[in-house]
Amino acid sequence: MSLFGQTVICGILLGGMYALIAIGMTLIMGVMKIINLAHGALVMVGMYITYVCYKSWGLDPYIGMLIAMPALFLIGCLIQRYMINRLVEVDSILPENQVLLTVGIMLVLTELARLIFKSDYRSVTTGYSSSTFFVGDMSISIPMTVGFFIAMAFTYLLHLFLTRTDLGRSIRATAQDRNAAIYMGVNAPRVTVITFGIGSALAAAGGSLLLPLFYLWPDIGHLFTAKAFIITILGGMGSTMGAIFGGLTLGIAESLGATYISMGYKDVVGLVIFLLVLLFLPGGFKSLTKR
Amino acid sequence: MTAKSWLTPTIIAVVALVLPFLLRDPYPQHILIMILIWATLGTAWNLLGGYAGQVSFGHAAFFGLGAYSAGLLFLHLKISTWWGMLLGPFVATAVAVPIGLICFRLRGPYFALATLALGEIFRLVFTNWVKFTHGAQGILILSTFPTKLPYYYIALAIWGLAMFTLNRLINSKLGYYFVSIREDQDAAESLGIPTTRYKMYAFLPSAFLAGLTGAFYMNYIAFIDPHVVFSLGDISVMVILVVMMGGVANPWGAPVGAAIYIALNEIFRAWLGSANVLAFGILVCLVILFLPNGVMGELGQIRRTAFRQKPAAAGGGQK
Amino acid sequence: MKKTLSISAVALMLIGALIIAGCGGGKQQAPKTEAKKETVKVGVILPLTGSEAMFGAMEKNSMEMAYEELKAAGKTTVGGKEIELKFEDDQSKQDAAKAAAEKLINQDKVAMLSGGYSSANTNVIAGTAQSKGIPFLIVTGSADKITQQGWQWIFRGTAAPASKYTGALWDLIDKVIKPKSVAIIYENTDFGTSSAEGFRKVCKEKGINIVFDQAYEKGAIDFKPMLANMKKTNPDVVFAVSYVMDASLIAKQMKELDFNTKLFIGGAAGYTMPEFKENAGDASEYVASTTLWIPNVAWKGAADYFKKYKEKYGKEPDYHGAQAYATMYIIADALGRAKDFTPAGIQKALKETDLMTIMGPIKFEDWEGYTNQDKPTTYVVQWQKGKLEVVWPEEAASAKLVFPVPNWKERK
Repeated sequence: MSLFGQTVICGILLGGMYALIAIGMTLIMGVMKIINLAHGALVMVGMYITYVCYKSWGLDPYIGMLIAMPALFLIGCLIQRYMINRLVEVDSILPENQVLLTVGIMLVLTELARLIFKSDYRSVTTGYSSSTFFVGDMSISIPMTVGFFIAMAFTYLLHLFLTRTDLGRSIRATAQDRNAAIYMGVNAPRVTVITFGIGSALAAAGGSLLLPLFYLWPDIGHLFTAKAFIITILGGMGSTMGAIFGGLTLGIAESLGATYISMGYKDVVGLVIFLLVLLFLPGGFKSLTKR
Repeated sequence: MTAKSWLTPTIIAVVALVLPFLLRDPYPQHILIMILIWATLGTAWNLLGGYAGQVSFGHAAFFGLGAYSAGLLFLHLKISTWWGMLLGPFVATAVAVPIGLICFRLRGPYFALATLALGEIFRLVFTNWVKFTHGAQGILILSTFPTKLPYYYIALAIWGLAMFTLNRLINSKLGYYFVSIREDQDAAESLGIPTTRYKMYAFLPSAFLAGLTGAFYMNYIAFIDPHVVFSLGDISVMVILVVMMGGVANPWGAPVGAAIYIALNEIFRAWLGSANVLAFGILVCLVILFLPNGVMGELGQIRRTAFRQKPAAAGGGQK
Repeated sequence: MKKTLSISAVALMLIGALIIAGCGGGKQQAPKTEAKKETVKVGVILPLTGSEAMFGAMEKNSMEMAYEELKAAGKTTVGGKEIELKFEDDQSKQDAAKAAAEKLINQDKVAMLSGGYSSANTNVIAGTAQSKGIPFLIVTGSADKITQQGWQWIFRGTAAPASKYTGALWDLIDKVIKPKSVAIIYENTDFGTSSAEGFRKVCKEKGINIVFDQAYEKGAIDFKPMLANMKKTNPDVVFAVSYVMDASLIAKQMKELDFNTKLFIGGAAGYTMPEFKENAGDASEYVASTTLWIPNVAWKGAADYFKKYKEKYGKEPDYHGAQAYATMYIIADALGRAKDFTPAGIQKALKETDLMTIMGPIKFEDWEGYTNQDKPTTYVVQWQKGKLEVVWPEEAASAKLVFPVPNWKERK
């Protein structure tokens, strides 16, 4: 029983981490309908900024996050403004050529990081990095718990932003129907720029929260991109609450798979759930609430 | 008209046949073979992705299945990996049937992500199923021919087959059905086109050709492991990149894209030291930004402008 | 306006790239101009970009350092010709490794090849070298089967076959640890699988009960489900084959789970690296590992190499760097003895190698189905008070093995 409990706890905490990375992606995918393969690379950039803050000024990763987020917001805005928006205006046979642009951006960001920081593995070891508390004989990691609650808080704030502010409503309107939104007087290109910025900032937040318990090297982005996709689809594109449920589902599924099948197959479990949701619940968990 | 339409392919065929005699050194020949491998794989992807508009992020699955069909024949039955060239394409096609039936229910990004997930599942299963596949230890053989020429002509023949298949399909009634599905699936359905069936007609040859390429890759490179042949980043995404750089829905898109990708990657790798991937990434951004329809796609645009012809009504064009 | 802006942004990017390219290209061309006399080219294929670039860079630095030392000693001039190293990047991808091997052999006409970090790329380079009949001296690639093919042109000196990293460990297990049960965890890569296979086989021969045996996909964030599962089986000893950062997470998370064993043994790779200690922190204490080399081994020059590398590149090297450093010495030695610089001449010289290096004595022998494979000297090391100490074999030991290790809760 304690094994089961331990597994589920690990899964929930891990899921919270995944969710935070995925929220940024679900926002971007929801509004722009593009597959952003550079998302993991943005997480990586955020982690490096936090890392530099820690090494140069001794800033705790949780504070470094407050620097990484605006920085990534800016980077995200620039990418969208000068690169992706240019492509949207052009008529092309397949809209997927935007995906390729994100591949290019990913390569450039990764290699720039390699050029500056070399390929060395870096890590930030804080006093609380491996602190835990025990419930019964189940161990719970404190930084993961903190990260989990921060992730929840961000999701809630984002939810408020999207539902309560004018800008948030414009973002949702653009997500639902870009052309209709434009007719209603929404400045769609500007909205997409801000959306990409917010998405990138959230990616940075996810990276900063992971830094104390994980590690960092230029290629780390690949690990996150695929996970973020799965969660985005599980939760439904553009749904922040869906991303939380998607993240938790994936986290718990992977943990259970690792415990009861095999650690090597844990990712397969996640992918199979992903496929099943795609086929039988194509709108993701979001569509459940609408019924 | 007929004479003209045969002219270009004939010239290219002749050039391709004599090229290895002009470039006698094995190193450029190796690059040519790699270009042909990617041209074939790209052509396979282009049929499904470019013409029928079903953007697959999992073509590595078929490439890998082809390669592993060849490798496993050698591993378990101790017969030559060349038999894989017969088996591989059919294994890939057979696997494509259920995948197609599942994934063609989905559209746009959902279809793309479903194929991405399937490709990853194949990679993970082939890595973890150690008893059958030797897992990450991979399969190592000693290559059959000491020289490059036989490989070159086999690769050329496979590519020729791919080009022939593509041209036959897109110039038949099927080709119009493919494009109509790509442009507006609902409209196509309302006209009575059974879309799933016609997507299959694009998908199965595509998987067949990808499997064939994979089997050849095993024979040529002489070593495979799951992380190489089922790779998401290095195969599935790269093949899309190749076709998009060359030009989607253009028969010459994949070969041109492959030539650019392999040749530039090799030049950068050999000359730029550790900055080579960065330079390549920047180039990808530039190509997509300035030639959003790829080199071949924009070539038509340039030509039209040059000859001062009015753009075709269906062409859309830039605004 | 908008267009001008974006074009200038893109142009800026391009210029940046060109500057970088210029730097890279410039560096590469520098040795060419000074070496005007005839040269013997040695092609070295290492991952300089991609996921393995960290090790590739360390090995390249080490080889260049060794080359400079040899040059100062006049040993880079062999038979009136200057040895010239030609580094090629394999991008951590096997296609690029193949292209690099083809280029070096056919275009640059190198006399021999070296390098090879990952097993996959080493396999491909070895296959190409064997079919072309060019000697290839492996630096790191350690898959068993590379030297089991009977390939006469492939030499492996500084790297052991993956399943033979545990020589000293088995001695230690027989004499001191005597476990009743072991748990094996390993990454599902070539190195991980081969190592685990070798370990498993000996366990079965010796009748040691394997209570847990699982592979994992490298790069996971959370190993706790697997570790909690393993904790339940309560093994005496855990044998783990992991990459450096997975290794540190496993150690940390074992501590977090309060999972106690009598001894935790890593199978080379990650558990001996400075990054492991840095990230795992105090969870690294008492972790033991097999290894091929550490800076304080008895071999002459090992400590000097470590010190010099750290001074020059500001970073601690590990055994990968030492492998590359020693390999450079083997190359210079073999080329110095070669009668002529034909492939056969170099092959013969390599075969007759009997050289003392910082990796110990190197000889290329045929044994147990291996061809041209050096018999490795292995060690067992243990982290004690934040330092890596040799604990076995006894005659080389710099500290005594702590066994069984104290429980997590009993430590301060």
